[in-house]
Amino acid sequence: MPRPDPRDFLPLSPVVLHVLLALAAGERHGYAIAREVEETTGGQVRMGPGTLYGSIQRMLAAGLIDAARRRHAESDDERRRYYRITPLGRRALELEVERLARVVRQARASHLLPDPEPT
Amino acid sequence: MSRGDSLALRCYRAGVALYPRDFRRRFGDELVEFARARLDAARSRGRVAVAGRCAQLALDLARTLPAQWLAAAHGGLPAARFAAERLQAPPSSAYPRHNMDILANDLRFALRSLARRPAFTVVAAITLALGIGANTAIFSVVNAVLIRPLPFDDPGRLTMIWGTQGTQSNLGVSYADYVDWRQLNHTFADMGVLRAQSVNITGRDTPDRLIGAFVTASLLHTVGVNVARGRSFTDAETDVATTAPVAVVSDEAWRTRFGSDSSLVGRTLTINGTPVTVIGIMAPNTHLPLGFSVDVMVPIGYYPNAHGLDRGNRGVWVVGRLARGVTLDAARRDLATIEKRLAAMYPSTNAGTGTDVHSLADDTLGPVRPRLLLILGAVGLVLLIACANVANLQLARGAMRSRELSVRAALGAGRGRIAQQLLTESLVLAVVGGTAGILLAMALVPALTALLGPQLPVDDPSSIHLDARVLLFALAASIGSGLLFGLVPAWKTSRTDYSAALRTRVGGGLRHAATRSTLVVAQLALSLALLASAGLLVRSLVALVHVDPGFDGSHLLTAQFRLAPSKYDTPAKIWSMFDRTIAEIRSLPGVESAALVRASPLSGNGETYPATVLGGSAGNRTDSVALQLNGVTTGYFATMHIPIVAGRDVATTDRIGTQPVIVVNRSFAEHSWPNESAIGKQIHVGSIDGPLTVVGVVGDARHFTLNEQPLLQGYIPYAQLPQVFTSVVVRTRGDPLTYTKSVRDAIWRVDRDQPVWRFRSMEQDLDAAVRSSKTTMVLVLLFAAVALAVAAAGVYGVMSYTMSQRTQEVGIRMALGANARQVARMVLGEGARLIGIAVVVGLGASAGAARLLQSQLYGVGANDIVTFVLVTVVLTGIAVLACYLPARRASRVDPMVALRSE
Repeated sequence: MPRPDPRDFLPLSPVVLHVLLALAAGERHGYAIAREVEETTGGQVRMGPGTLYGSIQRMLAAGLIDAARRRHAESDDERRRYYRITPLGRRALELEVERLARVVRQARASHLLPDPEPT
Repeated sequence: MSRGDSLALRCYRAGVALYPRDFRRRFGDELVEFARARLDAARSRGRVAVAGRCAQLALDLARTLPAQWLAAAHGGLPAARFAAERLQAPPSSAYPRHNMDILANDLRFALRSLARRPAFTVVAAITLALGIGANTAIFSVVNAVLIRPLPFDDPGRLTMIWGTQGTQSNLGVSYADYVDWRQLNHTFADMGVLRAQSVNITGRDTPDRLIGAFVTASLLHTVGVNVARGRSFTDAETDVATTAPVAVVSDEAWRTRFGSDSSLVGRTLTINGTPVTVIGIMAPNTHLPLGFSVDVMVPIGYYPNAHGLDRGNRGVWVVGRLARGVTLDAARRDLATIEKRLAAMYPSTNAGTGTDVHSLADDTLGPVRPRLLLILGAVGLVLLIACANVANLQLARGAMRSRELSVRAALGAGRGRIAQQLLTESLVLAVVGGTAGILLAMALVPALTALLGPQLPVDDPSSIHLDARVLLFALAASIGSGLLFGLVPAWKTSRTDYSAALRTRVGGGLRHAATRSTLVVAQLALSLALLASAGLLVRSLVALVHVDPGFDGSHLLTAQFRLAPSKYDTPAKIWSMFDRTIAEIRSLPGVESAALVRASPLSGNGETYPATVLGGSAGNRTDSVALQLNGVTTGYFATMHIPIVAGRDVATTDRIGTQPVIVVNRSFAEHSWPNESAIGKQIHVGSIDGPLTVVGVVGDARHFTLNEQPLLQGYIPYAQLPQVFTSVVVRTRGDPLTYTKSVRDAIWRVDRDQPVWRFRSMEQDLDAAVRSSKTTMVLVLLFAAVALAVAAAGVYGVMSYTMSQRTQEVGIRMALGANARQVARMVLGEGARLIGIAVVVGLGASAGAARLLQSQLYGVGANDIVTFVLVTVVLTGIAVLACYLPARRASRVDPMVALRSE
């Protein structure tokens, strides 16, 4: 089987993008992913369980993320499955972010966006 | 709060069960954990936040369920190619764009598209509102009666202990036996005695009658009756040997009869002629088993019936509280062992008798549970039919919208997205219909309470209302029906080949014909099942109304009174009062005849005693049977028009000191002395001393219910065994109820202090005996009519839609020489095929429904051909009519117009 090309996945759907972003920072269980996404987007992206796990299922199948069942140090809950980003997923995320950055640069060039304030 | 949460979580768990198996297995636990965390986080922010979370979870389910099923239908997900394809954002959609945007978009779109077709929207919403409203209203009754726990502490451990004899069950038990059971059992935490009986309260302005209960202190302990003021009974006070003159008054009687007088505790009341001191007032909302409400409780020792507490007299009820962890079966075995010992010790009274232990919940709800579930089932079918109808409307609309949808598909909307959007529309429609349904239910519940309330074991009819659980049910019913009527059209419509649809100009009208026909067949078949059920219930009711009760109920007035035992303390005094009373009543103008009877038929009163037939050879006893025993004065049979079959009526010469006699009914005579004359035979009854000689045989009369098996009955002359409680039956000229005052005055001419109550005509009692059957029948008939109307509308809709799509074809046929008749026949033939299939399927469903219905039927078999034929004719007639209208329209098409329409 040929190695999947991360470019095949672009552009990423918003849910996938945000899940990958959340997992890029470290492995997490499902609810923690949703909370992180909600926090980092200021509540703009809010995912229900069915939506989140539907995406997780597809991302697992595509090899963008994988899962580990483990005990957490603090909460001893065996049921929790932790998800982490795979190298393929990280590569797809990087490509997507680059693509988005290009889009933003382009938008700036055509003065659709204000230039960043000097800090 | 936490209950609401766990309920929400349970609902969500049920929703998760709807996902395809693979997804559910893999993520089910995590989904539920996710939802739990969400709800927990919301809980600290109050009810509104929790409700918001519930709504979000419901929407999430509604949106992702079809997506998962679509994916599963594409052969599951492990295919990486598919996964990659699905991962990409749809190129056509504005990017970036997040979930809530899509949802808001879908909602906006749904609202717009519903508003654009107000006729469709209104028809669908009304159909749903009817279905959901009726279901919600009925569920509010089911909730109040069957789901809410009985109003006692730990009600699961409360039981009723009944006597049995031969094939008879649910008989009263004897007080003496109870005393032994309480002492010897190993399975009950406690048990207590209850004997409800009206009592006279005198010494106040007017003689009054209260509902009394003769009890033991242990009853209050067993049931958990709390006393708000004063104190409860002590064991010694209710022990027969040490009975004390004390009473406990109910909260309601204290408020309504004694003006909330706080000095009532400590005061003396004259109850049944005995002065008793009020020692306590029950807490408000105190309940007694089996829905009894009593005004005053006094110790069982004051039970006024002669020999009422003897071992042979099974007139009291016993309530038991099981010890922790003890099963009903263990309690039954325990009591059976004790009973065996008692039968050995007291063969004359206890041989052949037994006990049974029922859970209080079964005894309370048993009679209504099947009826309520039947009504709930019927109304559930109405909702199913309504859903099928709306699904059909949706399909028709989907076909009409195929050009709009094709454009969306061409612009890049995937199948999933289109399905999701259509489903969002369905859910919006369901929520609109559900909201209207809840409003409808609010309007229906008072009417339903008025109709059903008096027949239900609820103490407070206002407990039937829309509470949180009912609203949740309505929400679930709405979303469930939204999914039900939305999934098929969403699936079907989204699978349409839109490129083909764009190429043709006719909007792909006949594409879903098979699905739509299937839905119509289902509607008609379900309607037929409902109609058949209603038909069987109607026939049962007709049979019940036409039951010959064995007496003539017209022009009969009945009433009851109870003499104060302290005032009438000898049989001679009682009889003298009775004798004078009946003479006074008989002398009233307009009274044709009158008699006293201890328990008049269908009044709810009546006593059953063990009876043994004394054989030819001396002392040769046969097994005892349960005899329904009544005391009567002369003229009772003549007044009731009960025929005397053999021998004689009781006579004025039958009195204390003469030979004790009994008149038995035909069933008893045939049971005890088949092929022999009963006259002159002897029987022994209960605790009555000495044998009774049969002097007459009379016709059977229904006593407790109209549909009971013929009872074994006996009548003894009042003069030989007068008792303080009696009913009076009066045959009058004209309306019996107009004689109420003159009969009361006649009794008051004998004793001015005598309360008299329950003046009813026998026709009222006969009506009451069929009332619950009538209510069930009316409701099921109503639902069947609604179902039939909805189904007929469905047939009409499908046929006229099909015809409108085929206008061109019809035009061509007519242009080629077909006449209007042939066209109409073609259309009708199509309808007839659907109706035919529906009838076959429906008759099968009807047979199934009838079997479930069997316990509610009387005088008609579950496979009653007449009913089935009749309802088939009705259904077919209405369905053919629904086809005929579009057929006629089709046949009147002007061929030129039809051909030009393209």
